[in-house]
Formats: sequence, C-alpha cells, structure tokens
Amino acid sequence: MLALGGVCVFSFSEVVLQQLINGLILGSFYALVALGYSMVYGIIKLLNFAHGDIYMIGAFACLSVFGVISKEIPGLAGIGLSIAAAMVLAGIIGYLVQRVAYRPMLEAPRLSLLITAIGVSLVIYNTVMLMTNGQPLFFFSGIDNSAGFSFGNIRITYVQIFMLALSATTMLALSFFISRTMMGKAMRAIALDQDACRLMGINVNKIIGSTFIIGSMLAAIAGGMACVYYGNVQYNMGYTIGIKAFTSAVIGGIGSMPGAMLGGLLLGLLEAIGTQVMTSMGMSGSAWKDVFAFGILIVMLILRPNGLMGKTDVERM
Amino acid sequence: MRGKKTARRLSLLIALAMVLSVFTGCGGNSNSGGGGNTGSGGGAEETITIGVLTPTSGTEAFYGKDMLQSYELAVDEINAAGGVLGRKLSLYPADDGCDANMASLAAEKIISMDCDFVVGGYCSGATIPALQLFYDADLLMLISAANSTQITALGLEQSFMLNSPGTHALLTLIDLCKSLDVKKAALIHQGDAYTKDLSDLCEAGLPEAGIEIATVQVMDKGAPDVSAIVTAIRNSGADFVYWCGYHADGSNVIKQLRQGGYTGYIAVGDGSASPELITACGEAGEGVYVTSPPFVEFAVGGEKFVADYNAKFNMNPGNYATLAYDSIYVLKAAIEQADSIETEAVRDAVQNISYQGLSGLIKFTQDRELEVSNFIILQIADGTFDLVIID
Repeated sequence: MLALGGVCVFSFSEVVLQQLINGLILGSFYALVALGYSMVYGIIKLLNFAHGDIYMIGAFACLSVFGVISKEIPGLAGIGLSIAAAMVLAGIIGYLVQRVAYRPMLEAPRLSLLITAIGVSLVIYNTVMLMTNGQPLFFFSGIDNSAGFSFGNIRITYVQIFMLALSATTMLALSFFISRTMMGKAMRAIALDQDACRLMGINVNKIIGSTFIIGSMLAAIAGGMACVYYGNVQYNMGYTIGIKAFTSAVIGGIGSMPGAMLGGLLLGLLEAIGTQVMTSMGMSGSAWKDVFAFGILIVMLILRPNGLMGKTDVERM
Repeated sequence: MRGKKTARRLSLLIALAMVLSVFTGCGGNSNSGGGGNTGSGGGAEETITIGVLTPTSGTEAFYGKDMLQSYELAVDEINAAGGVLGRKLSLYPADDGCDANMASLAAEKIISMDCDFVVGGYCSGATIPALQLFYDADLLMLISAANSTQITALGLEQSFMLNSPGTHALLTLIDLCKSLDVKKAALIHQGDAYTKDLSDLCEAGLPEAGIEIATVQVMDKGAPDVSAIVTAIRNSGADFVYWCGYHADGSNVIKQLRQGGYTGYIAVGDGSASPELITACGEAGEGVYVTSPPFVEFAVGGEKFVADYNAKFNMNPGNYATLAYDSIYVLKAAIEQADSIETEAVRDAVQNISYQGLSGLIKFTQDRELEVSNFIILQIADGTFDLVIID
C-alpha cells in the first residue's frame, strides 16, 4: 500500500494481473446479461432489446426489497434474499413481456418483432424514468466494499470474489439445466425445429415462456450484483450493458450458451486491457478502450463470422 | 447502434408532442411565481415575463428545481415590494432536461411565449444550443449556474455568466494542489461539454503551476465500472485525482478508487458539490475535497435566505440557489438602471453593474464573465462539508 500522497510502484505483471481481475468482473456482468440475449435468440430468433431494461428492473427490485428487509435481515443473507426476490419479479415481468408483446407476433416477420422489442424497451425505460424522476437511487449494503486481499499491489475485495462465485455458479447451473434436464432438452429441440416439436407433443409456448423467465432471472442476478457492487441504480443503467451484452452474445456466436459466457468475459477483459494499453501509450486509455476492444472484435468476426462458438445450421442451445 | 438512433428519434418525437401539448393546453396553468400572473397567453401587458431554462427532469432535476424555486422566491419578494418599474415579474419555466435537444425545444418554447428575459442554465451542454436561439430572438439571458468557457467562446453579447467559469475553478484547484504538495495529478471527465471543458482547462493549466498530469481518463456515462481506470491511475503514479463530473457518477468513482487501493488525495469539481455526494460515498468520501460554488451556509446574509427558502418550500436550498436568487436581483437592478425593458438598454446596464449578492460580488468583465472568483474549497469530514481556508 502506498502512503497518502506517495507515488506507487506497480510492476508490469501486477498491472496485467490487476487488469485481468478487473476485466473478469466486468465480463461476468456482460456474460450474465448476454446469456439472456443468446437464449432468446436461439429459441425464437429475436434480438430482445428490452433485455437491458430487465437488468435495470432487477437492480431496482433488489434495492427496493433490501430497503424493506435490511433492518430484520442485514448483510449477506438479506442481499441474497433481495437478489432472489429481484429474480422472481424480473422473471414475472420477462414472462409478461413475452406473453403480451412477443407471443402474438411470433408468426409476424422478424423485423416487426424487433421493432416490438425496441418498443418494449422504451416503455420500460421511460416508465422507470418517470417513476424515479430520473434520479439515481443509492444502495447501502452495510458491507465494507473495500475489505479484501492484497498481494503486493494487487487487490481483490471480498465482494468481488462473492460476485465471481455467484456468476460462475449461475452459469454452471444454467449449463446443467440446458444439457441435463427435460426442459433444457425441449429448449434445444425448439431451437432446431418448432413445428416438429409441436408434432412431438412439446408445449412450445410454455417452453418459450420459460426461456424468457430464465433469461430475465439471469439479468436480475446481474442487476442485483450491480446494485451491491456499484451502489447506485438509475433508469438508464441498462442501456450500455444491453449493447455490450448483445455484442458479447454475437462474438460468442449468438444462440450458443458457452459462447455468450465466453464472449462476455472476453469483452470485459478486452476493455480492461484496452484501457491499460492505451494509457501506457500516453493516451486517455478509457476514451480509447472501446476503439481497442471493438477493433479486435471486428477482426475476430471477419475471421469467424459466426462467432467463437457459433456454427451454422447446427443446434443452437 | 440502430437501437440508440431509434431511441433518440422517438424521444425527440415524444418531446415534440409534449411541446405541442403545452401550446394547446397552456393558458393559465404555467403560473409558477406567487404573483398570480402567468405572463403567457395574452393580455398581461403589465408583467415582465422571465423565461426559466433549467433541467426539471432527468439526472440533474434536483438542481434545476432548486434553481427554479430560488427564482420564485426572489420574484415573490420583488412583487410583494411593488415589482420593478411598477410592473410585476412572472416566470415561465421550461425544462431543458440537461440535454441539447430538449434544451433547443425548451428555448423555442420560451421564445414563442414572448418572454422579455431569460434566466437559468445549469448544464453547459444544454445551455449552449439554447443561447444561440435566444441570441437570434434578441433575448437577454443571465446564466445562473452553467460555467463552461465554451459559453464565453460563443461571444454572444446578450448572455452573462453569474457563476465563475471553469478558469476560476482552475485557480482554486491550483491553490489546493500547492497546499497539499501534489506532484502528479490524474483527471477524469465524462466526455460532455462541461466535464471535458473543465478537464481540458486543468490539463493545460496544472503543468504551468508545476503539477504534472499523470493521466486523463474518461468515464462513459451509464457504464459504472471504472476499476480498469483506477488501476491505470494507480499505475500512473498519480497522488491526486480530480473528478470533473457530476455527483451521481462521482460517488461511484470515489468508492471504486478506494476499493481499488488508491490512497492518494481525491478532489471533485463543482458538478459534484452536493450533500448527496456525502451520503452516496459513505465511508469512502471522508477526506475528499470539493472545489465548490458558493454554498449558502458560507455566505454573508445566508441565514435569512435559508430561513425564507425553508419557510416557502419546506426544504434547504441547494448549491446554485444563491446564484439563481442573485440573478433575479441583478436583472431587477439592471432594469431599474436602464429604466426600460429594452434588451439593449438592460444589456448595457448589466455590463456595468456592481452588485453584492449572496454568491459574492457580481461584476462583469468585457467577456461577460464574473470578474472575481466565487469558488470555495470544502472537505468532507465526519459526514459534512467543512470550509477549507488556504492562505
């Protein structure tokens, strides 16, 4: 640790390692949100632009629930419970959005469905803006966000470790769900051929509904994490992450679950490394990080147009 | 990207619809002063109507409303004492949402309502497009809070800045850095007119005072993660970080700087000078410096203003309240001096005015900027702001 006002001496490997940690945490947010994009696209070929707003709703729900219960159940248990409640609420809203706005449009051209999704996004965004007066709300977890480990100059806080563990567990659970359960199997089947599934007696609408519920729950976990980690929640918080998560899903190969996770982590890492590389070159690193990250991504997509894990004409879940 | 464009177009359409609804449904409900005169509509020949351009929605709504209430307080006081030149004052508020597009629409609204003068201006990015429109409509504007030097650079003769421009913030910042013996400073801004302007000024001005610039970083609006920036700053060897943005994101930056192991000094610009910064930062905020606009608590004659404001609105005035309040009185003094409400005569009177207000001495240079800096330095200690005096 450096003294107040002192000059810090970072070694090269320390900087790289610290930026990898930073990138991994940012990337796990992207990955969780990207999974929802990818699942929905995989099953009904819809770019659900309202997904970032579901993330925002998850954050608001977590904040509100914690505000009510934190007196009785403080600390980690309260936060866990709040995130669980946020998942339930986001799941319900995700389902309703699907039921009201998307299901009647399933037979319509894909472009109409896309516009509907943008419409839903605007409705949620502006409703929350009006409800909160556009003001940010602040979240006080009561947990010391600065506490953590230091290895030389490298720092990782307990909250960061908790979040990495939470997102890793979630992604593992999802992989298990998709590959090992009947419903997961049904989802993969619908991604391949909806009509055949109907003929085989699969309740397609029910499975599509479940996909939205699960995707929204994942976004709510990310929203809840943002609430705890960043501490402020605002109506426009879903926009940037929505775009970044969509990017992640495309990089990973949209429709592919491992691809979405990989794409999210990769984008997070590229942004962190990009910030450092450009700063070390004497430029304003954070201003150039997107140029750096997206430059590499463009090259990557030219080399692999279907994304890292995406394949043409094979199953998508 | 397509989503963003569509979103922007749609919001523009919605804003347009809102403006139209104001025109059609206007009449008497736009009254905001206590005088009871609306000034809009027709027949109010006797009132002097002052358009108010502030953000009353969006992230900066808190300040916009605070300013609007201060205008109302001043207007009510003046009206109760007989008005100006025997005429009552009335306000016509328009919401700029701290957004360039919305500000243009709000300005058009003020112009079409035949307002005689304009006050307001909180976000420089929103004020600049509106100023051009006011200039074309031959309207005088007293800019209460916005202080980007880009406003000066426009060279519009009918706009005066009552708040110290960023150049004054730089002088105060240099004083602070020297007293703390700062060697290398890092700057963080958000890429918009106000925050980038402040950052650019410091980037140019600090080295002249012997303080090296370690790095300049940009935090994207709406992307809360700045951990990579924190690491880059720590690696740059900076012992002082200056946040040029607003308080909501500022609290995030401060918290993550401390979480990420940065232990040097942190200071924030006037956009973050809000009591909310203290609550939002919690522990991490302790010791943070603020180059602040004149807080009313530290103003001569501030108690009466706070008491009156409290009695009327049942809340405490915010940072820009004194500047807003002074704006109305400067306008009153200028109108009386000019003995007319003709733009040119009042403009000349404002140019030559010397008014001791709550926010300090209001006297303008030929560039229509404040002559003497009104910035003060505060420090967060035990959950409140303390005034820091540097000799």
